[in-house]
Amino acid sequence: MSIMAYNGGCVVAMKGKECVAIATDLRFGLQAQTIDTNFEKVFPVNKHMYLGLAGLQTDIITVYKRLMFRKNLYEIRENRVMQPERFAAMLSSFLYEHRFGPYFIEPVIAGLDPKTFKPFICNMDLIGCANMPDDFVVAGTCEEQLFGMCETLWRENMEPDDLFETISQAMLNAFDRDAISGWGAKVYIIEKDKVTIRKLKTRMD
Amino acid sequence: MALNDILKHMPSVGDMLSDYKSTEEMDFINLSQNKVLSAPPYSNPVENLAKLHENNDNIKINFDHGTTTLGFIYQGGVVLAVDSRATGGQYIGSQSVRKVVEINDLLLGTLAGGAADCTYWYRVLTSECRLYELRNKKKISLAAATKIMNNIIYSYKNSGLSMGMILAGGDMNQVSLYYLDSDGTRTMGKVFSVGSGSIFAYGVLDSGYKWELTDEQAYELGRRSIYHATHRDAYSGGTVRVYHVKKDGWNLISEEDCLDLHRRYEAEKKK
Amino acid sequence: MLGINQFPEYQVPGAVQHQFNPYENNGGSIVAIAGDNFAVIGADTRLSAGYNIFTRNHSKLFQLTSSAVLASCGNWCDSDTLTSILQTRVRQYSDTHENKEISLNAIAQLLSTMMYGRRFFPYYVSNILAGIYEGKGYVYSYDPIGHCERHTYRAGGSSSALLQPILDNQIGLKNMEEKPTIPLTVDRAVKLVTDTFISAAERDIYTGDGVKISIITENGVEERQIPLRKD
Repeated sequence: MSIMAYNGGCVVAMKGKECVAIATDLRFGLQAQTIDTNFEKVFPVNKHMYLGLAGLQTDIITVYKRLMFRKNLYEIRENRVMQPERFAAMLSSFLYEHRFGPYFIEPVIAGLDPKTFKPFICNMDLIGCANMPDDFVVAGTCEEQLFGMCETLWRENMEPDDLFETISQAMLNAFDRDAISGWGAKVYIIEKDKVTIRKLKTRMD
Repeated sequence: MALNDILKHMPSVGDMLSDYKSTEEMDFINLSQNKVLSAPPYSNPVENLAKLHENNDNIKINFDHGTTTLGFIYQGGVVLAVDSRATGGQYIGSQSVRKVVEINDLLLGTLAGGAADCTYWYRVLTSECRLYELRNKKKISLAAATKIMNNIIYSYKNSGLSMGMILAGGDMNQVSLYYLDSDGTRTMGKVFSVGSGSIFAYGVLDSGYKWELTDEQAYELGRRSIYHATHRDAYSGGTVRVYHVKKDGWNLISEEDCLDLHRRYEAEKKK
Repeated sequence: MLGINQFPEYQVPGAVQHQFNPYENNGGSIVAIAGDNFAVIGADTRLSAGYNIFTRNHSKLFQLTSSAVLASCGNWCDSDTLTSILQTRVRQYSDTHENKEISLNAIAQLLSTMMYGRRFFPYYVSNILAGIYEGKGYVYSYDPIGHCERHTYRAGGSSSALLQPILDNQIGLKNMEEKPTIPLTVDRAVKLVTDTFISAAERDIYTGDGVKISIITENGVEERQIPLRKD
């Protein structure tokens, strides 16, 4: 089994109309054994930006901590909020620094520009090759299932409520076909004036 | 050296596999002789079949590898409980596998390991049991049925079959429980659990098991054990099925979705 | 595996060892849906290996009787062999049973037994059988060594992981608190099959070009073909 699938888990992010959504499952396991069902793989970066990390749990925590250190340093030095594009560029070069001994994670960024509130989503491979599409990004052990679901359900210019329903259904049905993801889910809808966080009730097997 | 000579060197699989004659005769010999499978064009299928599939991971040869099944005897008979998930790698192939096989109106068997292996050989066993009835004008005993199954399985030892079965049924006017597996094990006992989730199921089962259980307590113990296994084990899940086996036959007690069971048990915790 | 090790007299220094791998993945995806009195089964029409496309118009559907269609993908030469032998057996059945057609559930079991017969050298295929039995629609799916299970809907082949959760959601109505009561008609089933293939063709390089759909009803089998993206 691949080291990327050692702990299990998945993250998905979607663009909507003046909003973005990011969702994560809550499982932390060791191969087949489920250890914890409250491990969130999505972390707040600043007011309008969230970072999702799928992959090896130990690297998820390390990468998040190291990124926050760099981001805080930037915000203090520059005295302004970091834009999602800048954050993605920083993450990309951070991951490429470890080109020959990479962190085993696949990051997903979802956020709004702090000034223009333009939606931004991005994902990368484990060595920092960034991809910024107009629709959705997925990562984790049920990537294929998520691609299938998102490709069918996603529509342009969804309102926040619609976006919530779409991302929830996409994630739930995708991880129900994956043995090592699931056990609860959390969805973040990021709008210009608020962030809505909802915990979903899911199958627990 | 001809291909024929090489095939003779197949370790311990020889007897039951067809001798290599011609392709037409070799293929599908099991349609007329159900215990004989065609021989592969290479020796030692365990190693060499795996080698062939090394570069082809798109279609999953390994189907249904992960299961929780259990069975135990108590004063009221036998309870069998199973989950219903089939996984190929980490992909969930099915959430609705029937892992209890109804061999006849007295005998039941559970299914763990290779789904195709188990279902095929249970089908052969079912026909053997029926033939026994027709020949001897009486129902086959569980001891005899498990012995037939064990003999078949043993003849395929080391050929890569993967099975773990619990069989329950009426035997000499009492109910008994057997465990069989593809290594050739056949043993009678009181409490068995098989599959990747069995360690979790045993934890619950052993802490609640006693001979004096009432029927309702026994069903609930079986159900709860499987539920907790589905919760902790990634490769178990779906619906929990509980069967009750008595001297004069078996009954399907319940079929419940793991999601409903989870909600119920969580609500009980909060009380 | 048959190799130089079985021929000690040829094991000399400098001898180059070649191996023959009998399996190849030719890709392709299949989907089937069973309704009350019909069954719909679809397969894409691309035949490929690695990054090469061999042909863009290749049927993976095999009509066995007037009420049963088999879809088979994976290793194409295995699909071809297996289905032709199965077609022969289906024919033999009607020849030895006063021209009575073999029933769907009998085909389902026959196919399972045939596939298990090759337990130690399996057909490298993913099969789905769809049809009508006593007026009702059924779908059976198989693993490569003949484990057979009945479903109401099923996706198989290279995009099975992409397609199956969509069917779970749209037909199985999984993860819906208020379940909508839209009846499953032939038109809706065909539309769903088409939509899922359009999604799969976006992301899976082994699926595309076109989708061939067989609609099986009391009146027989109707075929349709719908184009997909060709890149």
